[in-house]
Amino acid sequence: MAYSDKVVDHYENPRNVGTLDKSANDVGTGLVGAPACGDVMKLQIKVGAGGLIEDAKFKTFGCGSAIASSSLATEWIKGKTLEEAASIRNTEIAQHLSLPPVKIHCSVLAEDAIKAAVADYRAKQPKASEAAE
Amino acid sequence: MATPFTDTAPGGAHSIRPCWSCRGPAAGDAAFCETCGVIQPPGQEDHFARLGLERRFDLDAGTIDRAYFARQRQVHPDRFARRAPREAAIAESRSVSLNAAYQTLRDPLRRATYLLELAGHPIAGDGKTIADPELLAEVMERREALAEADSPEAVAAVAADARHERVSAEAALGAAFAAGDYPAARRHATRLRYLGRLAEEARRRSAMRAA
Ligand code: FES
Ligand SMILES: [Zn+2]
Repeated sequence: MAYSDKVVDHYENPRNVGTLDKSANDVGTGLVGAPACGDVMKLQIKVGAGGLIEDAKFKTFGCGSAIASSSLATEWIKGKTLEEAASIRNTEIAQHLSLPPVKIHCSVLAEDAIKAAVADYRAKQPKASEAAE
Repeated sequence: MATPFTDTAPGGAHSIRPCWSCRGPAAGDAAFCETCGVIQPPGQEDHFARLGLERRFDLDAGTIDRAYFARQRQVHPDRFARRAPREAAIAESRSVSLNAAYQTLRDPLRRATYLLELAGHPIAGDGKTIADPELLAEVMERREALAEADSPEAVAAVAADARHERVSAEAALGAAFAAGDYPAARRHATRLRYLGRLAEEARRRSAMRAA
């Protein structure tokens, strides 16, 4: 199957591959998997004092579309608030990357990973989250 | 899937339907009409019932093979060479559904997946994600170890470890089914899928090296 240029670009030069300290209080970690294909994705956010996402990293073991989706997701969420990041839809990712219909589900992994990372970060600061937003 | 689940349903429900040939009553899942002996089309029974097997995980390969081949012999094309074309066509469609049942039940993981569907605890399908932290952390770790393996021996070690884990995961899966604990069975089956994927990836890595 032919990947779009944007997928190839993200696949060949993935942005923000890496790991943040998952035990740090200002880091949220999202770990999601798709049992249907056996792929797994980790996406982490580091939230600054102003409540903005100042860094994001990912590690994905999956198909090219999943890698491109998570790479793009980390680019998109940097500088955003948690609400803005959590409102990103997989369809926007799929559209931006021109994913074919059979690969749409790969972008779901990225959407769910962002949400999971935001939820993990919030769970770490039960009270601070309301104060900061 | 809304099919009610029972542990003991050998042969499934014995409904009666009219024989297409003599119009007499025929057992819902019988291959041949009791009255006229003519072949009957496959019904709606599940894959276990199709092979006359009990609906359970714990089935050995020999039992499944014997059940399958015995039924496949009954519908072999040679037996229908001189029968009406309609009978030969029905035999053929029975053969197709026997084959589907066999393919689904013969492989333990596919059998487990099917049982979980019947039980209303299906494994997450296409476009569905899971967030089981313990399982996914393990998967991440194994995939990382494979990615970092820099010699054929190191790749083989990851693969051997995965094989070993698959054996114990299969045993745990069997125990969960035996206890009727479907959430646990689903978790073990999901883990088996991931371990299978890891093994596949390890094979790909060794093939790449060999090339
Ligand atoms: S095929 Fe699994 S995420 Fe793309
Ligand atoms: Zn009849």
